[in-house]
Amino acid sequence: MPTLREMPLVDASVGRSATFLDAARALTEHGVAAVAVVEDGRVVGMFTDDDLLRGLFPRYLEQLRHTAFLEREPSALGARLDAAAAEPVTAHMREPVVVDVETAAVHVAERFLHCDWGAVAVVERGRFLGMLPQLEFARAVMASRTDG
Amino acid sequence: MEWLAAGIFVAALAVIAFEWVHRTKVALVGAGLMVIVGILDEEHAIEAIDWPTLGLLTGMMILVGLTERTGVFTYLALRVAQLSGGRPFRLVVLLAFVTGILSAFLDNLTTILLIVPITLLLADVLAISAIPLVLIEILASNIGGTATLIGDPPNIMIGSRVQELSFLDFIVNLAPVSFFTLAVVTALLFVVFRKQLRVDPARAEEIARLDPARDIRESKYVKRSVAVLVGTIVAFFLHAPLHLEPAVVALAGATLLLLIAADDVEHALERVEWSTIFFFLGLFVMVGGLEQQGIISQVAGAIGEVTGGSRVGEGMAILWGAAVGSAMVDNIPFTAAMIPVVDELAGDGPFDDANWWALALGACYGGNATMIAAAANVAAAGVLERAGRPISFVRFLAIGAPVTALSLVIAAVYLLLFQL
Repeated sequence: MPTLREMPLVDASVGRSATFLDAARALTEHGVAAVAVVEDGRVVGMFTDDDLLRGLFPRYLEQLRHTAFLEREPSALGARLDAAAAEPVTAHMREPVVVDVETAAVHVAERFLHCDWGAVAVVERGRFLGMLPQLEFARAVMASRTDG
Repeated sequence: MEWLAAGIFVAALAVIAFEWVHRTKVALVGAGLMVIVGILDEEHAIEAIDWPTLGLLTGMMILVGLTERTGVFTYLALRVAQLSGGRPFRLVVLLAFVTGILSAFLDNLTTILLIVPITLLLADVLAISAIPLVLIEILASNIGGTATLIGDPPNIMIGSRVQELSFLDFIVNLAPVSFFTLAVVTALLFVVFRKQLRVDPARAEEIARLDPARDIRESKYVKRSVAVLVGTIVAFFLHAPLHLEPAVVALAGATLLLLIAADDVEHALERVEWSTIFFFLGLFVMVGGLEQQGIISQVAGAIGEVTGGSRVGEGMAILWGAAVGSAMVDNIPFTAAMIPVVDELAGDGPFDDANWWALALGACYGGNATMIAAAANVAAAGVLERAGRPISFVRFLAIGAPVTALSLVIAAVYLLLFQL
């Protein structure tokens, strides 16, 4: 089984003072499910693709269960990004899921299964190393089994 | 020991009122303390729990939760908005009455959680402020919920505790005054908010283009869910001649719906708000402690002394006292404490329902006074907060307090003319 140190980590992070738009760009540019929000090298939060969607659309959308009646895009619902762009990322981030680089793969798998998004932050002695996408983790595990 | 019991209860009310700790934790800690320090023993604690109230709440949560999946409530709200044609007066009246009627037959907390998010969307499409509409809905939900035994938690507790009062009794004695109050309050609120509700005709056309039935067409189990919900409401009307408790009716309806319209029972039972159920549970034990220590009898005695045993005096004291108490604390714990007081006031004489209607009107209408006075208000404030459009305590009070005062005057006149 490969160690986390051998897995391809993505250096996807933004500073605590970043805006929503900064975090959204980092997320889309790196193509990962979550980016770390970092302060002095330590992970203080996580901005995920769900947080991006919540910022792009009205916040009450999550509390609606039925929206198929909106066959066409109502003109009033498209302006949310303009308002959200300059908001601090700290207003949109969530509690991070962090694993130490020395962690066993089984524990990492358990972490992935219990969080709702597909990337965890990998740290070494508390310092951010990079984001581990779930698919990359699964690919590395499969490769190790095949090699073995 | 009685001072300790009163102290625990008052402290719990204060913590609930100031929202320092979640109310369910407060109620459970208060109940636990009362048992641990020996205010009431375990046997009496279990006896103090009003299981019919918990059964009725649980049954309705499952029924409404499973029916909500079908999109019928969203359909209703959208059709109402379309029927208004974007005209502010029609929009306010239709939204207020749909909210009031749904509150009466589902319960006001559920109604608010269903209708506020869709109202936020409608307000965005119409390019008007959502706050006036949501405020109208909150106030309408508390007034509409007053009309039936299942409409508002205070009525659920009264109806479950007082065997002599049937679902039909609540309708006959409370629905007309609730309907009248709703009409007066809606007209008043329209006058207050009319300038904020002007709609651009182009925006009104966007509402007309929505297809409200689309969600229903895409849902499973629509007919079954609606049929069971309507059947359960009809059964509520007949529960007295059928000799069935309202809780049995609600749980039977929920069980039937689980059988015929729920693929995954675990998922269906997630609709039950367990924090609310445990809040009630803790509350009943705390009130049991007050009863055990004779505090309820003392309060009832004090009310009797102040009113000189006058029927009118007692009715008015209960109405206004319940409203003030509910406004300051929360109408659920306040009603839980007041039910045994009203029971005690009645003594061993022939059954007189007037004081129960005074309590129901006072607690339910009092729930409109402040943002913390009723569960529906707290829930709506939470939805607004999460939507990024918070409403302040003072702004709510500025509308809620006068509406409550007006409603209570109507209730007082009604009680004096027809009940006392």
